Amino acid sequence: MSWSDPARRFEPAEDVQLRAELRDLLGLGPVAVASTPAAPSAELAALADDLRREAQRRRRTERKRPTWGLLAAAALPLLAALAGLGTWGFQQKHRADGLALQAQRQEQELTRMAAAHAAEVAQERQAKEEAQQQLQLASKQGGRKAEPYLVIPVEKPLKFQGDDYQRVKGKP
Amino acid sequence: MEQSPQETPFGSEEAFHGAFAELYPRLVSYARRYGATFPEDIAQEAFVILMQRDVRVEHPTAFLYGTVRTLSLTERRPMKNQNLSLEAVSEPGLAGGADDQVLNQEVRERMRLLSPTFREALWLFVVEGLSIREIADILGIPEATVKTRIHRAKAQLKDQLNPSGGVHVLV
Repeated sequence: MSWSDPARRFEPAEDVQLRAELRDLLGLGPVAVASTPAAPSAELAALADDLRREAQRRRRTERKRPTWGLLAAAALPLLAALAGLGTWGFQQKHRADGLALQAQRQEQELTRMAAAHAAEVAQERQAKEEAQQQLQLASKQGGRKAEPYLVIPVEKPLKFQGDDYQRVKGKP
Repeated sequence: MEQSPQETPFGSEEAFHGAFAELYPRLVSYARRYGATFPEDIAQEAFVILMQRDVRVEHPTAFLYGTVRTLSLTERRPMKNQNLSLEAVSEPGLAGGADDQVLNQEVRERMRLLSPTFREALWLFVVEGLSIREIADILGIPEATVKTRIHRAKAQLKDQLNPSGGVHVLV
């Protein structure tokens, strides 16, 4: 070929020999080597130029689609799913934190109420013990047996006497 | 490696014109052998696709043949005939172009008797004059596989010439 093609320039000798053998087997005869390559016709040259211009026009008008854009478009559904999942997870975590805080507060309140109740019970128990001690002490000092109920001393009953009053005349 | 807008995949403009003049008729013929309805359009489209690429192609010839093969098979796809693989080579009337003048009836008959897989590799290697590396690029298979197919095609050709198992006079 008139133009240089690296694949054919460096073709091994054994391949060339194999090709010659196969041509013999097919009855094609040896490859004709052209001494001087024939000049391309004007029509073919014009066609080649037209095709070259067409290729240049396509290269200019071809819409360049960057690789990162395609990758972004391909990864968009995945990113959207990840974002949705992340938002849902964040909401769930926020909600769980709120519930945990609320439970902690309720526990603290219950602890406080239990402590107050225990203090009140202890105070009442102490007051009862003091009252019993005072009762025992009073019983010893009075020489009487402590009554289990309150005794109110009663005065001598009043008698109704008929002449203890006079009539008062009414107004004229 | 990127190529400048003024540079062609074949080097200078003069080299591009030379390569186009040499490759275009062969690519048209190659597309026609795959049964393409518009082989010229396919060959031209392959050149445009090659020059449209920003990245420089290492083996432009292999790229052009591979593109023509793909476009031809895509054009045939609705016909569900993708497995024919150069069947048209041996069919008079379908296979046309400059190469038919070199391929006489006997050669066509020998090619027809080969299995389609071996025939494709053999055609590209012998008739189109492509290297093993280029054929591997076109067919999308390893170079070792291409060599194996060509050697098996060679063995089949020998069997055709000497079916009794004797030594062929040309070997």
